Amino acid sequence: MSTHAVATLHQQLRKSFRALADNQRAWNSVLAECAPLLGSLGNLAEQLRALDGVQIARTPLARFPDLRDRLRCKLLQAVDVVLAKLTEKTESLQTVRDAVHGLASAAFQWYEQNADLLDLATCTLRSAAAPSIAELLEWLQDADSYYRQQFLRRRNLLQMLRPDELSELESAANWWASIDSPDGDELISEMLFRVAVFVDSG
Amino acid sequence: MEGKAPEVRRGHVTGSGRKLKDNAADWHNLALKWDRLNDAGSTYATNIVNFTLQKESGKEASLLASSGGAADAPPVQGLNPSSRELEEECVKLQDVVEKMTRVLSKMEKMASSDQGICALETFQFGDEGRPTPLFHTWSTPHFAAVSSRLCESYRQELSLKRLILQEVAHTSDPQLAMVYLSSWLHQPYTGDGDRLLLEGLLLETGHRPL
Repeated sequence: MSTHAVATLHQQLRKSFRALADNQRAWNSVLAECAPLLGSLGNLAEQLRALDGVQIARTPLARFPDLRDRLRCKLLQAVDVVLAKLTEKTESLQTVRDAVHGLASAAFQWYEQNADLLDLATCTLRSAAAPSIAELLEWLQDADSYYRQQFLRRRNLLQMLRPDELSELESAANWWASIDSPDGDELISEMLFRVAVFVDSG
Repeated sequence: MEGKAPEVRRGHVTGSGRKLKDNAADWHNLALKWDRLNDAGSTYATNIVNFTLQKESGKEASLLASSGGAADAPPVQGLNPSSRELEEECVKLQDVVEKMTRVLSKMEKMASSDQGICALETFQFGDEGRPTPLFHTWSTPHFAAVSSRLCESYRQELSLKRLILQEVAHTSDPQLAMVYLSSWLHQPYTGDGDRLLLEGLLLETGHRPL
């Protein structure tokens, strides 16, 4: 029964988009937490570079011959701590990515299993209150692909960072920011806006 | 190292044990106080460096404005450097170093009191010392050794901080200034080993549950 199938799928899609909105908030809040950590990495790298650049023996600090090794050790430990925190954040990002992927694949799976009941005309039918099923599914897929790509790029960047690679640590914050995709996030916000009436109607 | 040491159960331990246990709680509290002073001092030192470099370059000190971060003091930007402000920050930093000196002096008193307890036990029990440990496993001389090792670390740290206090406002080399700030903040002479000793001390004396 096509009407019943449409109603069921609509209900499922409403849930998916509600969950997508939650996930978008979660994603952005994790990203906001990452920015200061990347800033810290840059600062620590700068401190390590300064330590390399200063000839301690020619400064008043010469009285502390083991200072360089001790300070370097402390700074590297601090880098490790920040990297560990960033790894935790990556795991949170992965959770969002997995959740969004789950939403998209569940909706598609349901559609595929019930494709016989949903003809092309039904799937492409849109109204003032609801986008078509085809559009809704496509948007979920877009969201899935956006978060998948973002996640991979961010994880790859973090995996590349090593405590002893100062220039990479220094550039990390810029690289991280360059992965930001205002268009992509805008796309998610826009689709959530376009489904707002549809989601609220259920 | 976080939070206050749990309330000491009065009356449970007496004599040398009581004294060692109280000293352990004091160690914990003094170490926390030291860390708080270190954070405050770090902010003042950062301000001093920013002022000095701004004066030198005659423009916004950009280098050290970003020396903040995870474990780092907050950056200071957009301040108009003046000798008076610089002096104020120096006085604040000096005050921090003086407070740290007082903390160290209390630590030294505790180390000396732990030594005294050792001497008393040698007098009471001979060179072998007390036949059974006062708490779980640590011998009394071990308490004294830990106290004096911790003291030594903080003494080194304070001596480095005194030097930073003297020099930090007089360097125009941004890298050296950064090393001063880094050295102040990250405390290279008190390490994980000291933190472990302190935790061990709290565990042994029952301030932390085993």
